[in-house]
Parts: sequence; C-alpha cells; structure tokens
Amino acid sequence: MLHERAGELSHRLVEHLVLSLSATLIAVVIGVSMGMLALRSRHVRDTILGFASIVQTVPSLAMLTFLLPFFGIGTKPAIIALTLYALLPIVRNTYSGLSEVPRAMLEMADALGMTRTQRMLWIEARFAIPFVLAGVRTAAVVSVGIATLSAFIGAGGLGVFINRGLALNNTDLVLFGAIPAGLLALYLDGCLATVEGFLKPLRNTRRLLAQAVGLLLIGITSAAGLSTMSDSSGSVGDADAPRVVVGSKNFTEQLILGQMVAVLLEERLGYRVERRLNLAGTAVCHEALTKGEIDLYVEYTGTALASVLQQDPPREPDEAWRVAKDEYAQRFDLVWLPRLGFANTYALAVRKRDAQANGWTAVSDLARDADRLRAGFTSEFLERDDGFPGLRRRYGLRFASVVDMDPGLMYDAARTGQVDVISAFSTDGRIAAFDLFVLDDDLRFFPPYDAGIVARGEFLRGHPEARALLEELSGRLDEEAMRRLNHAVDGEGRAPIEVAREFLVARGLI
Amino acid sequence: MPGTDGSDNGVVRLEGVGKSYDGGRTFAARDVTFAVARGETVVLLGSSGSGKSTVLKTINRLIEPTEGVVFVRGENSSAMRAVELRRSIGYVAQEVALFPFLSVAENLALPLRVQGVGKQERRAKALEALGWVNLTDDLADRMPFQLSGGQQQRVGVARALLAGADLLLMDEPFGALDAVTREALQDEVVRLGEEKEVSILFVTHDLFEALRLGDRIGVMHQGRLEQIGKPSELMNRPSTDFVRELFEKPKRQLEVLEQ
Repeated sequence: MLHERAGELSHRLVEHLVLSLSATLIAVVIGVSMGMLALRSRHVRDTILGFASIVQTVPSLAMLTFLLPFFGIGTKPAIIALTLYALLPIVRNTYSGLSEVPRAMLEMADALGMTRTQRMLWIEARFAIPFVLAGVRTAAVVSVGIATLSAFIGAGGLGVFINRGLALNNTDLVLFGAIPAGLLALYLDGCLATVEGFLKPLRNTRRLLAQAVGLLLIGITSAAGLSTMSDSSGSVGDADAPRVVVGSKNFTEQLILGQMVAVLLEERLGYRVERRLNLAGTAVCHEALTKGEIDLYVEYTGTALASVLQQDPPREPDEAWRVAKDEYAQRFDLVWLPRLGFANTYALAVRKRDAQANGWTAVSDLARDADRLRAGFTSEFLERDDGFPGLRRRYGLRFASVVDMDPGLMYDAARTGQVDVISAFSTDGRIAAFDLFVLDDDLRFFPPYDAGIVARGEFLRGHPEARALLEELSGRLDEEAMRRLNHAVDGEGRAPIEVAREFLVARGLI
Repeated sequence: MPGTDGSDNGVVRLEGVGKSYDGGRTFAARDVTFAVARGETVVLLGSSGSGKSTVLKTINRLIEPTEGVVFVRGENSSAMRAVELRRSIGYVAQEVALFPFLSVAENLALPLRVQGVGKQERRAKALEALGWVNLTDDLADRMPFQLSGGQQQRVGVARALLAGADLLLMDEPFGALDAVTREALQDEVVRLGEEKEVSILFVTHDLFEALRLGDRIGVMHQGRLEQIGKPSELMNRPSTDFVRELFEKPKRQLEVLEQ
C-alpha cells in the first residue's frame, strides 16, 4: 500500500503541514496581540482568556459544522477552526511571559530612556519569547492533531486517509493517515523544542536570529522538496477542459457514486474533475452545493425532504421525488436529475441468528424486546426526524442503551456483538456479508430514499453535454446492483474508483 | 540661597519634593530640599522605608513627585519629556544591572542605542567605557552570566556613565556584593567622581559606605531629610537626636584614632 500511495501521501502530508502551520502562524499573530492586550487590565485579561478557553472546549467537529454556513467547505473554514484552537496556548503563554518580566528589569529599561515601543521590542518581547514559543509548540501539535478532522469538510490533509479508512472500514488506511499525522506532530514538536532551547534568556539575541533563520531555511527547503515530489501526483487533463467539482458524503455508497460520476465526466467528456468526496454528511454537501463549492453530488429524496427542506416527506416515492425536485429548483436553483433507480432507505438491522432465535421479522416484533437490546446508530440517524426520534415515537421503542457510532464502525459492531441493533442502509453490502437481517418497516415509518444526482442549475445550463451524459445513468442502478458494488468495496476491500469504473465499463457507459 | 528660576549651578536641585500615595494619606517622602553641585558626590543615607530611593527616583522620574519641583541642570524636569530626561542621566540599580539576553557590549551600548546611534559607533564607545571601569576589551562579547557579580556591576556603572557623563544616580548599587568587591567599587566611584567630574547621588543604608563616598551626606528618616551636610558637620553638629545617635559610633572611633 505504501508503494502505490506514496505520491498521494506526500501530497496529503504537504496539505496537512500547510493547514496546521498556516493556522499556527495566524494564531501566533492574533494570539500574541491578544496576549499583549490582556496586560492592559484585569477586565480585558479575563475577557480574552475566557474567550480563548471557551473556544477550546467546543468539540472540533461541532466547530467545523458551526463554521460551515459562514465559510462553506474547504481550506478556509478548516484554517479558521484550527486557528481558533491554536489561540489559547499562545494567548495564555504570551500573557504570562509578559507579566513575568521582572519589575526591576522594566525599571532599568525605563531608566535608560527607552520609549514604550523600544521597551516592548527589545526587552519585554525578548523576555517573553521562550514562553510564547512553548505556547506555539503546544498550538502546533494541537493543530496537527485537529487538522486530521479537516478532511470532513473537504480541506484535504492526512485525515483524508483516516476518513476514507473509516468509511470503507479499512483499518490499514486509517493507520496510513494516523501514523504520519502522529509522526508529523512529534517532528514539529521536536523542531520547536530545539528552537526553544536556542531562545533561553541567557542566549545572545543576534546569534539566535541567525540560528532561527537557518532553521527556517531548512524547513522551507524540505517543504519545497516535498511539494515538488507531490506535484507529480497532481491532476491530469487538459488545462482548457471544463472543470467540475464532484462531491459526496462519507460512506461507501456515496464514494462509489461520486467516483462513478467523476470517471464518467472524465472519460466521456474529458472534463477536469476535482473530487471533494468524503464530506461530513448532508448538511455539508448541501451547503457546499448552494455555495458553488461543489457542482453536484448524489442525494436521496427522503433526506432532501426531511433534512434540507425540513418537511414531512410523502410516503409515495414518485410524489416525494416530485416535491423535492420542485422545491430544490425554486429555493436553491438546484436540479434533481432523473433518479438512478434504487432507493437506499433507512432500516433497522439485527444479526440474522438473533432474528431467527427471537422470531423477529418486523420492527414491531423488535419493539417488544427492545428494553434488553443495545442499539448503535449513526449520529445522523439519531438526530434526524425521519430517523430514530420519529421511529421511536411510531413504534414505542425503548432500547436498553443507544450509542452514537461512526457509520463505518457500526456494522462491524453488530457483527462482533458489541451492539444488537443498528441503523443500516438497505443497499449496504455488509448486510449480506456480515449475516445481518433487515427488519420490515411494518408501520411504514421510513420515507422513500430514492437516489438521484443533484446539480447546480447554473452548472447544467453552462454544460448541456454534461447534463445529457449524467442522465444516461438514470435507471441504471437497482438495489441489487448497488448492494453488489457496496459489497465489492466493504466486503472485498476494493477501491471505490475501481469498482465504479468496472460498473461503467460493464454497462457500456465508457 | 538658590533662586527658584533654576539659574544656579547645581546639576540637580530638589525643592520641597514629596511623594504621597492614597491621595495624600501616606507619604513615602516629604518636603525634601537639597542640591548636588557639579562634581559633587551626595549620599542619601537611611534605613529601608526611609524614602531615600523614592527621592532618588523622582530625579529621573521613575517616580513622579506629588509635590515640589526637581530641577535638572537648571530646568524644571516635569516640563521635559521623561524619555529625554532619563537619557541624560546615568542610573545604576542594585538588582538586574544587566539584561541577561544581551552581551556585555550590547548592554553597555543601550544608552546609545535608544538614541539611534549607529552600530559601529556604539561598539567603539562600549569598548572605551569598559576601560573607564578597569575592565578589559575581551569581556565585550561575553554574556552577563559569564561575569562575576563585581564585573557585572562595573559594567552597570560604565553603562550609566555612557548615558549621563555628568550625572549618576546610584540606588544601593553594591548592596549585593561581598565586602572586598564592594570596597574596590567604592574606590572606583571616588576616582570617577574626581577624574571625570561626575555629579553623583548615591543611596545607601550603610553608614560606612556613606562616610567613604559622600562629600556630603543627607540623612533620611521616615520620609524626611533630617539633615544634610559634610560628615564632620553631621558628627559635630547634629541637628536632631536621630542624626546624633546615628553618628555616635563613627565619631567615637574617629576620636579613638586621633588619640
């Protein structure tokens, strides 16, 4: 794996480094100023340190989601979030460094006739630098860690491997991202520790500057080296060809469909396709689409109605599709292309042997025994009205425990007996592969989830040939076909792009 | 009798200087009047809390007096820019004489650097200043921690001389030094006062240091200047009981020596 992914690894490593270092640098500028401001008065200090501490307590994923409506997806919100996290150690250390300058030293500086600025630059700053640097060290390590989450909002970095690994239930891939991230954190910490050593108060300022410049040059040279390495793995294609950004959510089916659309546009129309796959859920994809940061992705009618349009979806599939299509066109200038042919509805799944032993065939049967069962649901399922909250009301479900789980880990947890009930998707390849059983939704609670490509109206008007091509996918994928594709990835460990391409070739689409 | 227009020859003159806190409820110094003539060394002697350091610091405005006027070279100091005033006065403190992250030469050159003097000139002056206090050139590029306490304080004195060639304020500068080093440095101060015609205001709590250095000694007690005069005047014609008791011991020793 190392061999075939070396190119992407160095590319992601550079992305990761750029994300965390630029956030750290911005945080240094803002944090040091805030730290200096905090010296003004007790009130200002409490406000500033309070703000920085509160920011620190916001969970990172929540922060990214919170920034989404304002900054969309990509590098910008990721850097903003990372900067916010990096602030606290820098502000706090700057403040304590500056407030610990000995009084006698300040008095001597005054007695020598230094102006406020001279005193700040020559004495206070120099005294505080080792403190500030210790803060920067913490900030840099924190940034490298949190930057792995930026992949959720399409900002790249080593988190891409981790996300993909989680989505595909592939531990090797998770480690392939996690280990370099850990090493990078250690390396940065080591570099900064060296600089910190140089900056001990007894050191001569001039010699120190020379050393700092030297270290910086080494850093820049190695970064430049790395990026030339990674350039070779950059995008191929005609520079004049139309450009399209394809998005997807972060689970196997979405990755396959995203790759399918991307490959189709590349091979048939020669488009330059940028892949923003693995985005963290419906809200992120929809936000990115309305902001024009992606041009299209595959959505499901029920999800569109309940999560995006916030209305109770009609239970009749064609009616649901019509409502979604009209509302999207009217409200967002987004176009639903004709449906792909399968529905991926939510379903409750249990181990097949449990179902047989207890005589469960429908959710109503399960409801009787729910109080001794452990449920593992995705966060999205737990939150959505068309998910667990509504389901619980309809069936009167009361589970012994409900755990919030990553979609990639959930099926495995059911297979290995860590949970008894999961929120499965009807097309998931692991249902068959892991010997799971889908319970019948006998009270017809789950709305229809027909899959279809949603694209920006503006993009389709500008690229009629793309619209015509994408419509060729309509009706080509039934549930059975989708489940097989999903299984090829989840069960057989094959790459989504490979599986997608094979499907397109088999159906004569490319 | 000095005139209030500040036209006399005193390098420093204080008139009714006082410093109060809490809107006048507590006084660190009160109604202090004296002058330091050109080339003269005046020692302010007092125990801790007597207000001697406060008085010294009103001169370079590290402390702003709440009453009275300080004249420096004939000018009302409160009308001058504090930064300009301080740049013209040498200051030696007891603690942290030198900045630990600057070399000896860089420390020495600070009074020139604040005024924007160029690098080469600063270096040349710094080397020259080392000679004034009997230190050799090879110390120039050392860091302060590589120097002995006595050497550090000599650098401190040299730096003060670079700033104010005619006026030094010394705030218990040798308090932290051992007796031998302290005496050597006291000799240095006496020599500088004579050779370079520097006016020195020296603060100490050590009676013998005061006797050794002071052309005149001002005795501070509870924020007030009890008496100021030549050592012989203080011994022979003390104006308060406090001064008499203070000088009893040296007076007796002197009488023993004379017999």
